[in-house]
Amino acid sequence: MTFFNTDITWFLDVYILLILGYAILIMSSYLILAYLSQKELRGYLKKNSFVDYEVLLTSEFAPKLSLIAPAYNEGFTIEENVKSLLSLNYNNYQVIVVNDGSKDNSMEILIKTYNLVLTDLDIHPKIETKKIKGIYTSRNAAFKKLIVVDKENGGKADALNVGLNIAQNPYVVCIDVDCILDKDSLLKLAKPFLESQGKRIIATGGVVRIANQCVIKNGRLVEVNIPDVMLPRIQVLEYLRAFLLGRMAWGRLDGLLLISGAFGAFDKEIAVLSGGYSTKTVGEDMELIVRMRRYMLENKLPYAVSYIPDPLCWTEAPEDFKIFKKQRSRWMRGTIETLSFHKKMFLNPKYKLLGMLSVPYWTLFEFLAPGIEFIGLVITVIFIVFGLLNWHFFFLLLLFVYSFAVFFSVIALFSEERTYHKYPKQTDFIKLLMAAFIEPIYFHPLTVYSALIGYKEKIMGTKGWGEMTRKGFTKK
Amino acid sequence: MENLWELYKRGEWEIPFLIFSIYLFVSASFIFYLIIVASRNRNIKREKLRLEYNILIEKVLSSIIFEDVLYAEIKNDKNFMVLFDTSFFREVLTETLINLHKNYEGVYAQKLEQFYKDSGLIKDSFKKLKSFNWEIKCKGITELAEFNINEAFDQIIACAKARNKTLKITAINAGIKLEGTKGITHLTEHADIIDEWTQVNIISAFKKHDIGDTKGVELLLESQNTTVVSLGLKLIKELKLTQKVPFVAELSTKAPNTIIKYEAQSVLQALTL
Repeated sequence: MTFFNTDITWFLDVYILLILGYAILIMSSYLILAYLSQKELRGYLKKNSFVDYEVLLTSEFAPKLSLIAPAYNEGFTIEENVKSLLSLNYNNYQVIVVNDGSKDNSMEILIKTYNLVLTDLDIHPKIETKKIKGIYTSRNAAFKKLIVVDKENGGKADALNVGLNIAQNPYVVCIDVDCILDKDSLLKLAKPFLESQGKRIIATGGVVRIANQCVIKNGRLVEVNIPDVMLPRIQVLEYLRAFLLGRMAWGRLDGLLLISGAFGAFDKEIAVLSGGYSTKTVGEDMELIVRMRRYMLENKLPYAVSYIPDPLCWTEAPEDFKIFKKQRSRWMRGTIETLSFHKKMFLNPKYKLLGMLSVPYWTLFEFLAPGIEFIGLVITVIFIVFGLLNWHFFFLLLLFVYSFAVFFSVIALFSEERTYHKYPKQTDFIKLLMAAFIEPIYFHPLTVYSALIGYKEKIMGTKGWGEMTRKGFTKK
Repeated sequence: MENLWELYKRGEWEIPFLIFSIYLFVSASFIFYLIIVASRNRNIKREKLRLEYNILIEKVLSSIIFEDVLYAEIKNDKNFMVLFDTSFFREVLTETLINLHKNYEGVYAQKLEQFYKDSGLIKDSFKKLKSFNWEIKCKGITELAEFNINEAFDQIIACAKARNKTLKITAINAGIKLEGTKGITHLTEHADIIDEWTQVNIISAFKKHDIGDTKGVELLLESQNTTVVSLGLKLIKELKLTQKVPFVAELSTKAPNTIIKYEAQSVLQALTL
């Protein structure tokens, strides 16, 4: 019996040490990243106050861009969305809308609205894709920038690959057709491509923000609001943390593994040489960046991935749990797939910072974190059942994690306040502050649960995106 | 410290550590919250002040532009002079002055330039040039260039040799505005890479300020720095300087590398067709 008790005590001690160790490790990494982000953000804003983006508007040396917008069953909003893409502040660009075998009337709407006719475009596909049914251009000179591709359904990655094959410009900007872009977003996204000094800029990405309850007029965001519904409201806070306190630091370290699929620009040549978007994963955005970086490192080509902290793209967040769960489980599947495709990079010094820090970080804190939390929960329940739980310690530990979560969200609010100040209304600030207190007990369990569903789906071999219904933006 | 070590040795450190951390996070959150509130209040206060100041500033500046009032008369306004001693008021005044100057030409612009000199705002700008902070230097350069203060040219061009890219671009642009091509000829000796963004900015400055005399642009083609040569070629192409064709033709025959050779040939093609 004494031997058994000694064993249990030893196990408890080790368990507590592991939990605390993991918590301290994750918290310290968050704080270090937040510190680096703040430094980078302040530097960027200082520099940016003297930047005149208009010079790109009148210059023939501005990078030539091809916007690729895959569309699947977007008939409800496609007319307005394409219109807003055609009216961005930039000169050297074309818009390629890829209709990925929509079952609705998207194609009919596009043909009618933009006066499209079938065209015989000379293309030399370098990436294998599903069959193209037709390529359309407009009879109307006002829409000369527009190319519409009608193809068989093959998923988002396949549609983006069609865009890569058709794009005539050296840089491609991949976007979600239903996103609201800042009018100057292309100017800001293109600038880093001109700033390379000895290193080739292979991709640039910007900050994505939540647009639920914001007011949209003629495809442009005219009023920023914080959603009343708690789920998207907390996502506003979550995006602030992720983009302002996380990715900015990874950008500074040049260890960024993900440029949001909603809005990112790529060097077409490198994207094609790397093989284009993978159709074998639902995390095609992250996978492409990792593969492009891997390509550059394996070929010993100097490169960089640039990250812009300006809020360039506004997207709609899921408002109900069912859709949220689908989105987050898909994100987890995408993460697992990308990390497993590139497991060779894990702690491999050949891949420098990427292999030694970025990939291990994602593995430990993005992929494994929900699993670790779940195991912790199960062990806690076992302790309760066997009367082994030290309640005093348990509550202190909970409070420790909770207070850190609130603290970190407050840092994100502080960062937003000192930089972009997009939520000037007092009520919006209070709403976000309240969200910081509610998030750990309401939102976080939901994200962990959704990630666990992602694990399950991966094990069961689930593929594809599933239907994602959107509510649509508030229009003026 | 010894107590902490004792706790650790006895294996009783977890609880005090958790309690300490909780206190730390709660107090830090509260401090950040207070800073956010203070920052928001400060911003609101500044915006209110800015509005108030703008009313007064617009009144004063419109009297200068349209009623030929001189600074000597404005100096008699005690209220104005009290505010003039505050840095925020001067900041708003300079911003408004710059915005107005951008919108006016001829006599009106000259009156604003005179006010800038008489009021002493010009001294503030020169002081900014001496700052160790590159952003303040940039501000000073922008102000002096906007009001066409040619005496500042040498100091501004000294800033163009800085390593900080933003400062370099601001200074070169200002130099071009003040003295045309004289603002870029120093680049022939430039050792660092001039990236395409800087090049695009320089070309834009030439177009924006409508620099007619382009004597000296061809010197860029003689630089040992290939990025400077590339800038020269781009300038010749964008500004359609057909009189520089012989220099480009010469470069195309003895270009330092194939990229420059190709670029020179492309410029030749564009200008001779």
